[in-house]
Amino acid sequence: MGEIRDGLARKRIAVCVGSGGVGKTTLAAAIALQRALEGGRVLVCTIDPARRLANALGLETLGNVEAHVPDHKFREAGLAPRGQLFAMMLDVKRTWDDLVARHAPDRTRQDRIYKNRIYQQLSSALAGSQEYMAMEKLYELATERDYDLIVLDTPPTAHALDFLEAPDRILDFLGSDTARILLAPALSAGKLGLKLFHLGSGYVAKTLSRFTGAEVLTDLADFMASFQGMYEGFKNRASAVRALLAQPEVGFVVVSSASPRSVDEALYFHERLHAESMPIAGVIANRVAPDLWPGGGALPEPDELAAALAARGVPDARDLGARLARVLAEHEVLARADAREVELLFRSAPGPHAAIPRLESDVHNLAGLARLAVSL
Amino acid sequence: MPGLALLDHRLLIITGKGGVGKSTISAALGLLGARRGKRVLVCEVNAKERVAPLLGAPASGSSAREVVPGLFTVDVTPRDAMREYGTMVLRFRSIYDAVFENRLVRFFLRAIPSLAELVVLGKILHEVRAEEHGRPRWDLVVLDAPATGHAVQLLRVPAALLDTVPPGPLRRDAQWMHDLLVDPLTTALSIVTLPEEMPVNEAIDLDSAVRDVLGIPRGALVVNAMPEAIFSEEERARLGELEREPPPLGPAARAAWLQALRAEQAARSLTRARAALDLPTILVPLLARERWDRAAVEDVAAVLAGSV
Repeated sequence: MGEIRDGLARKRIAVCVGSGGVGKTTLAAAIALQRALEGGRVLVCTIDPARRLANALGLETLGNVEAHVPDHKFREAGLAPRGQLFAMMLDVKRTWDDLVARHAPDRTRQDRIYKNRIYQQLSSALAGSQEYMAMEKLYELATERDYDLIVLDTPPTAHALDFLEAPDRILDFLGSDTARILLAPALSAGKLGLKLFHLGSGYVAKTLSRFTGAEVLTDLADFMASFQGMYEGFKNRASAVRALLAQPEVGFVVVSSASPRSVDEALYFHERLHAESMPIAGVIANRVAPDLWPGGGALPEPDELAAALAARGVPDARDLGARLARVLAEHEVLARADAREVELLFRSAPGPHAAIPRLESDVHNLAGLARLAVSL
Repeated sequence: MPGLALLDHRLLIITGKGGVGKSTISAALGLLGARRGKRVLVCEVNAKERVAPLLGAPASGSSAREVVPGLFTVDVTPRDAMREYGTMVLRFRSIYDAVFENRLVRFFLRAIPSLAELVVLGKILHEVRAEEHGRPRWDLVVLDAPATGHAVQLLRVPAALLDTVPPGPLRRDAQWMHDLLVDPLTTALSIVTLPEEMPVNEAIDLDSAVRDVLGIPRGALVVNAMPEAIFSEEERARLGELEREPPPLGPAARAAWLQALRAEQAARSLTRARAALDLPTILVPLLARERWDRAAVEDVAAVLAGSV
């Protein structure tokens, strides 16, 4: 099952996408490890790694900068990588601040933006902010660093769609034509705040402030004014990010569990990526209950199992046989449900596929991660 | 665990990591409430609706619909909530339309962070306190809240606005919403988790956010899909040896070994959750189901019935 590996063979960027709780982060790390073992200089950028995964990488404190996975971790796992593995964790607030620093004309403006209450909410709490910054960080790493492969884990979005739309939505927020037209005269007059609403009808402004309170609008106007002149820079960069994602050197890996809900999301995402001509490198069904009774024939009776156990000298064979029969039957119910979902997923989303059995992706060291990588 | 009396609250908030079964638990709690003679509303937030379909009914959309006798569901979206809220504040629909269909205004409303969350939460909490014919419109509102991070974002909006917004209409709304959320007689927030590492981590972080940031009264920790401990450690070791036997014993031993491993990992996660959280725990066993439907939700409700 080297399909996923082959799908990513010529890629410089791999983006793992899928709904929350499907094991994206672990799979992203496995993909990165595999390429590093084969000789690449590889970075995995995670969002919220499990403590055990961070520990597995020897990086108890992952931060917003890349850290080298230490050699002794590989030695302990009996691995001899021909390349190098780096890992980092995305810090949304820091990435926003860096982006503002990059585009602000001077320190004064930068500090004014940092202090603005609307900016503080935007950079920490606004829906889509994390998704936007993941894209931004990816672009920075892809253009300013020298990795053979960057693997990006993505935030567990409520809706897979958020990921592709968030940059546009936030840019919309930062500078629609409407806002600029409104603000331009107020800015040139050197006066901000409610003045801008004199441009609209007094009726509209009055009603609106009844809705939110006037000072909220003042804050907002100040924020918009601080961003004046920076919008183009943000916008150009976002278009560049978007263009980068459509390059053939990028491969999206769609990750799903076998639950109907996660398969639904994965298929929706797959369809969207396809519609936007984003390159898809593979589809992974994770945590699948394996079919242990293939063929679907009648399941063994308790007595049959008890006899087999007794024949091997196992004590309490009768009682254990009954429990085995029950557990196998229940396992097969879950396996059938999973198989149905995986079949639907793979049939509807063609391309390289991998199905990873449950528990095998429950990784707590590099050796486990390497074993997982093999099944990709 | 009788005496938790969760269903005696007017507002039950259910949250936890994505994919842990929040909607199933919300639906089961709704069923129980309705069965005890309450008029129940289950609210989902801007979601692909799951509760009504789980109960075998078509999705309700933005207006409450009765899906089971006594149990209504609704999906609250920012767009509809904004319209309702606007109409309520401004009193007249015609004014709302005249003002809010204005492009400029729409832009500014969207640009105010947290306004979407505020109107969504406002709509839900309005249902909690609404009265009809001199009695509450609902005896119980179950909020099937978004996953952890998004739930905290949603629920902290009233407190955040109280910190930053000067007196005015926004602040007045934030105040009554905050009062209602932190009232222990009205509200209880329960966290759903799976007995696995990441969901438990999130549950622990979420619980400290509930205490330190949100200040919302805490209900229970619901541990969903808990595998039963069926095999002893000794048996598990023996099962590992029997896996390579020919069928039928080999596959049965393999299934049993996997079950035992899963149960052991789950027990470890449960212990960790219990040690870290001083919350009453409700265990919902892992149910072997080929499909999740009304019958499965009924089974979950039967398990919950004893504890809530």
